[in-house]
Amino acid sequence: MQSADNAPPNADPLASLPTMANPTMKPLPSKQRGQPLVLDSRPLPNPAETQPTTPVRERRTNPSAASLFRSTLTPPGSRSGSPAPMGSPARSLTGSVFGSGGFKQSLLDTAAAENPGDPLNLILKSFVPHIAIHDSEDVEHLVKEKGFKGGLFELLRPFGERVQGRVTIRDSNGASKAWDDFSVRFTKFGEAVEDPDTLPDPRSLRGPPPNGQPPGQYSMPRKKTSLVQQVEQVVEKHLGFAEEASMGTATPTTPSRQGLDTDAPSPYYALYLRRLLSGIPMASHETFSHPVACVIAISSRHPAPIEALRQLYSETTPAEQRIPPWVDGDFLRYYVLVHDEERSDITKSMQLFDQMKRHFGLHCHLLRIRSSQSAETDDDSIPLPRSDWMSASEELADIERSEQLQDSFDDDPHLFNRYIFESDATAIRTFIREMVIQSIIPTMERNVSLWNDQVASRRRGISGRFMSLSKRFTVFGSSSSSSRSSTSGSSSNFETLGYYRPDTPEAIMRRLADFAFMLRDWKLAMSTYDLLRTDFQNDKAWKYHASANEMAALSLLIMPQNMSSKNRVEIINPMVEQALYSYHTRCSSLYGAVRSTLLSLELLRLRGGTGIDESVRWGTRLLEMRLFGSIGDALLRERLAVCYASKRGTGSQLWGSRRRKSALWSVLAAQAWVGMGKYLQAQKCLADARRMYSLLPSEFGVQGFGGASELLAGLNEAVREGVRVTREYAEALEAEGHHAGEKTMEGGEGLGLGLGLQFDEGSNLTIRPKTDPSATDGPGKGETTEKVEVDVDVEQDGFNGQSTSSASASQPAVPTPSASSASQSQSPEIIRASSDPSHQQHGQSGSAGGATGGFENATPTSGNSPTRPRKASMAVRTSRVLSSADLEPAPLSPLMPLRLAGQGQGSQGRDGSGNGSGSGSGNGGGDKSN
Amino acid sequence: MSYYFAIIGTQDNPLFEYDFGTSKQGGDGMARFTEQARQLNQFIIHSSLDIVEEVQWTNGQMYLKLIDRFFTSYISCFLTASNIKFLLLHQPPTTTSSSSSAGLPPSSSSSALTSSSTSTLVQPSHSSSSSVLPSLSTLTGGSNASTTTLGGATRTSTSIAANPTSPQTEEAIRNFFAEVYENYVKAIMSPFYKTNMEIRSPVFRARVAAAGRKYL
Repeated sequence: MQSADNAPPNADPLASLPTMANPTMKPLPSKQRGQPLVLDSRPLPNPAETQPTTPVRERRTNPSAASLFRSTLTPPGSRSGSPAPMGSPARSLTGSVFGSGGFKQSLLDTAAAENPGDPLNLILKSFVPHIAIHDSEDVEHLVKEKGFKGGLFELLRPFGERVQGRVTIRDSNGASKAWDDFSVRFTKFGEAVEDPDTLPDPRSLRGPPPNGQPPGQYSMPRKKTSLVQQVEQVVEKHLGFAEEASMGTATPTTPSRQGLDTDAPSPYYALYLRRLLSGIPMASHETFSHPVACVIAISSRHPAPIEALRQLYSETTPAEQRIPPWVDGDFLRYYVLVHDEERSDITKSMQLFDQMKRHFGLHCHLLRIRSSQSAETDDDSIPLPRSDWMSASEELADIERSEQLQDSFDDDPHLFNRYIFESDATAIRTFIREMVIQSIIPTMERNVSLWNDQVASRRRGISGRFMSLSKRFTVFGSSSSSSRSSTSGSSSNFETLGYYRPDTPEAIMRRLADFAFMLRDWKLAMSTYDLLRTDFQNDKAWKYHASANEMAALSLLIMPQNMSSKNRVEIINPMVEQALYSYHTRCSSLYGAVRSTLLSLELLRLRGGTGIDESVRWGTRLLEMRLFGSIGDALLRERLAVCYASKRGTGSQLWGSRRRKSALWSVLAAQAWVGMGKYLQAQKCLADARRMYSLLPSEFGVQGFGGASELLAGLNEAVREGVRVTREYAEALEAEGHHAGEKTMEGGEGLGLGLGLQFDEGSNLTIRPKTDPSATDGPGKGETTEKVEVDVDVEQDGFNGQSTSSASASQPAVPTPSASSASQSQSPEIIRASSDPSHQQHGQSGSAGGATGGFENATPTSGNSPTRPRKASMAVRTSRVLSSADLEPAPLSPLMPLRLAGQGQGSQGRDGSGNGSGSGSGNGGGDKSN
Repeated sequence: MSYYFAIIGTQDNPLFEYDFGTSKQGGDGMARFTEQARQLNQFIIHSSLDIVEEVQWTNGQMYLKLIDRFFTSYISCFLTASNIKFLLLHQPPTTTSSSSSAGLPPSSSSSALTSSSTSTLVQPSHSSSSSVLPSLSTLTGGSNASTTTLGGATRTSTSIAANPTSPQTEEAIRNFFAEVYENYVKAIMSPFYKTNMEIRSPVFRARVAAAGRKYL
């Protein structure tokens, strides 16, 4: 495996593409699986500037595999600098509900549209024109020589994700608007076809199996697992990799800022959404993945080029049955001559190209690329970016392949990091830009206006309404709308076939709406979807109905709207509701149900104000329906926390914000992650919750409630335990290797995070190598902790002692085998703590009843908050008093406001480091004294 | 139907917590919360304070009715003049577990144990207020035993357990809150009571229990 160290750094021209090979991941020459690769053990960078830096962590696995997981390892790139104010501009107390002002502008004008990880951006980038690629064998051969097994498709795909330059689109009113971020999606011709439910024999309609993949791999069982499950599997692989990769250094997966990061979604959630939207199947009920155009490519090597083009063309016609019958065969054909710069004669190719133009018209292009393989050591080589929009099954296959490679010690640097010449990249980019601007967009615009005039506008008028009525109730009405004989018997275009033929008005209108959506003409799209909704409902074409509702809701949410929030609720909610109901109950399409609801949730969230409450309502609805697997469930919980966190409050008290709700969902998410053993994520969620609670105007967060703080402490303990176990596992592995000596252990950080320390601020923590990791987790009371331990460790002890009591409550949540061994030393405490009848009352009795505790001083009497330093010093004082006593574990203090807990316990810990668990604050002392 | 009633102070601190079950339709007055649900309930109640903070400005009433919902938990709120919130979480029985939960000894017995133990435990912990409050309650004329017999006489039951959003339920909860509020005012009239101090009077607890039996 070659090291990437000498690869040219980031100055390559592909930087405009969202995915770049991460230059910070430096592979090391090691091929053993179990052997960890110490890549860069530099400590955490200066906390002030952690945010945009890439978290550097160990790669335990093949570095080339790391590139597979890049999308979740790196923070979302190139975020627009300042979080733009979202939500209603006018905030006053006059409204009945806070933040209920209308949202006048289009969502596209907000910063969210530019943020690459943002759901809105994902929506824009996923519903884009699909271009099928149909190439001859000699083209595939040529591209294979360049090192791309998947043919021209594989070569072109990454470049379609961002069309170079601005793309100007005219909408139905003739107004043109330029877009910077237009993208197209390349697909292989005749792939990813979804069977409609009612088709008699769908197998016969499907094209030959895609040749890039091993035949056995995509057999029936894989097909049977739904798209949603595949997406979950992908995310799980990513999560697993992150856990594994960070075993040694438990850095937080995402750099944390103050509060929940409401502008960028968590990388895993973004991945989830992206994969959900990546492989939109070529279904009958929506035409997004139907080819808008088809690239027909031959190479200059072909002996009989024109005939070959004709042959390829005829293969793309519906008569050939490589595309399902519900796809309109009348799409644009774009002819490409791939010229081999190294072996073919350019004058001959030019002649041939002129000939092509004469035969096939203007939609032709001469693509000049080199046929030799580019190595990364070449001067002008740039890495071919991995496609952002691989479908879930593809990515799964890739990951599996890399795992197999690891096992077989066989590494192929060209499998995952491939290189092309820069001249080729430029040629391809020019080609795509030319094709999109000169052929595809004009064709789509023309189609839109044509269909709009001929079909849709006829339906919009009064007569159109009557026509649909007459069509429904009389027999002769059908003849007016469709002239074919196949539907003359029935009143509907739908019933006989189970789908609409592409030349029925419904199908044309659907295509019109989808084209308008792809061209970002939301208004036209919305009005057309709205017409279709009733049509499909009358025809009982439920999947069509669901999809039309879904897209109507989405376009209505994106476009600028003047409606009040009440109107919005009345109009949009029924759409989402019907989409969900039709997808889920009537069609049992899990994918559609999840997609429609998640996307509406995201857009509602961006609308701000009451939209956030609605979005959470949809989220809870999804959770209630249990449509997800465990991963999706936890991710959605996390997302709901973000939703609530993004609601802004009013006034100094931030009335109307949802910080408590947000924290609740963070806790629920942490619970879910702990249940799955994903401790890093759980840690992050707990930190989020803690931060939210500390932002509350009241002093206590949720810790006034005994049971709630117990639950939190239990979660803390489980996470801490889980992180420790994985770390020990990593260390054990490391001990097998030879790196054990000089490695810097940064485990204290992870633990500290579990403790409730904020690392953004805790820059004064010193981290030292620990000689024996197990010495730190024995929280026994009389234990003689070594003086070597830094203050971090002393805090751990205190924390540990406190939270053991609640660990007994949530014992099954600690699934690790070594948890039992660890709890053996603590078992007397646990038993005593749980048998203590006053146990539940810690919070209350402690807060008011402490004769010695001094905590009641801290109970504010009239709502004015005591200043922080006073409380901190108080904590120090009380705990010093108590440190000599034999302390009960107190469940409260893990939830102390962080600043307080951190300072107080930290400073105190140094004083009373002799008795390890002496950091219980007033409560423990309070009921001990009783 | 299980209820969790909490009085929340101005600093989000619980002043009083009590969970109980319905006494209508042959209910035994025991809450059917599992241990986990009990902990979660506190989170839910706490998170509903967000909604209370918002709704309190839209409405001049003290009784804010049903303000929030978290899956199957419904939260009603009553706001006192001093910004003390009465929150009642009510959970309609799930159809399957309603029959089986009657035969659930561990949860119910443990809840009884904890509630009884807490009430006995907090009594001596703060000598001053607990000694005053009973005398105050004798002034108001309700002893522990008499309230239980009074609450035992149930009237004809409306099916408030099944549908938490019905007007009957709303009315029943209003009555409950009104009675609790009356007792609350009496309890905090103790000269030794300060704002945001926990209410530990066993008499008050008994009266809340009685109100719960009577109306819910």
